Amino acid sequence: MDSCQRALAWKPEMFRTIWSTLVGLLIEDGQLAIGALIALAITCAIAYSGGDQGRDASGYVLLVMVLALVVANLYRAGRMVRARVSSAQR
Amino acid sequence: MDPITLAIHATPAFVASAVEFVEATTIVLAVGVTRGWRAPLFGTIAATVTLAVIIATLGVALVAIVPEHLLKGVVGALLLLFGLRWLRKAVLRFAGIVAIHDEELIYQRELAELRAQGLQRTEFDWIGFLVAYKAVLLEGTEVAFIVIAFGAAGGTALTAATVGAIAAGVFVIALGVALKQPLTMVPENWLKFGVGAMLCSFGVFWFAEALGMEWPGDALSIPFIVAAFLGASWVASRMLRGLLPEGARVEARNV
Repeated sequence: MDSCQRALAWKPEMFRTIWSTLVGLLIEDGQLAIGALIALAITCAIAYSGGDQGRDASGYVLLVMVLALVVANLYRAGRMVRARVSSAQR
Repeated sequence: MDPITLAIHATPAFVASAVEFVEATTIVLAVGVTRGWRAPLFGTIAATVTLAVIIATLGVALVAIVPEHLLKGVVGALLLLFGLRWLRKAVLRFAGIVAIHDEELIYQRELAELRAQGLQRTEFDWIGFLVAYKAVLLEGTEVAFIVIAFGAAGGTALTAATVGAIAAGVFVIALGVALKQPLTMVPENWLKFGVGAMLCSFGVFWFAEALGMEWPGDALSIPFIVAAFLGASWVASRMLRGLLPEGARVEARNV
């Protein structure tokens, strides 16, 4: 098999990798991505329904929600890893 | 362009793009060293042209057609998702749960894989071409995203972000050409940690601006948002280290 044929044999795998990497650019952990989208939606709701005060507070609300989301998501990840390690040790 | 605008928009773009350029350079170097330089250079050029076409069509259309506040909102949301992914991985790396990114290890793996593919000197090396093309296209897409994200304010911000990314490319490629080995001296893991926090901060900043909020001090509030993200990441990293003792952290990578 020459170099071109071998390279062509790589093509489907290569495009799959490119696609999964492009999706993976934004989403690695589904729950974190969904949490972030919910935080963005709540921020929009506050900004549009809370008048001037809501709009002026929207950035801080989003910041606090995202910070809490990061800590909560990583805590969950840590708990899951601990559970996996414990079950592997048994 | 005033120094504050340049510092705010060019420096993050420089740092974030440098990380991506280091990863692409490692792969192109591995291909060049094992299989000769012609195919990976053509692959790099082809990927650069592809990227230029994508940016010239999608990027310009985005900036020209989409209203500024909507663009900031969309870019802010995408940036937040993109940044959270980086930040999460960086914290997991620093907590010892995910293996630290090792450019030397990636280089050696790539060398072994490329040598195993074999090569006939008489024909064009399509495998070398495709490997370099894929690496440059994927990392380049991230660079394009970074430039659009940090330059979402348009005008000078976009120019500064572009200048930052180009400077990073020139710097990293020159370093790679001079050393002809993976750029292990670049503290990628620390940079990714900082870049993750910066991307999230810009995401929050742009999204709130798109909703009509005026941050105190405008762009000067960004360093404070970055500090908040770094603080939360530090807390999360400490918490993870508390959850998993040292032995379990090492074991976790192999589970």
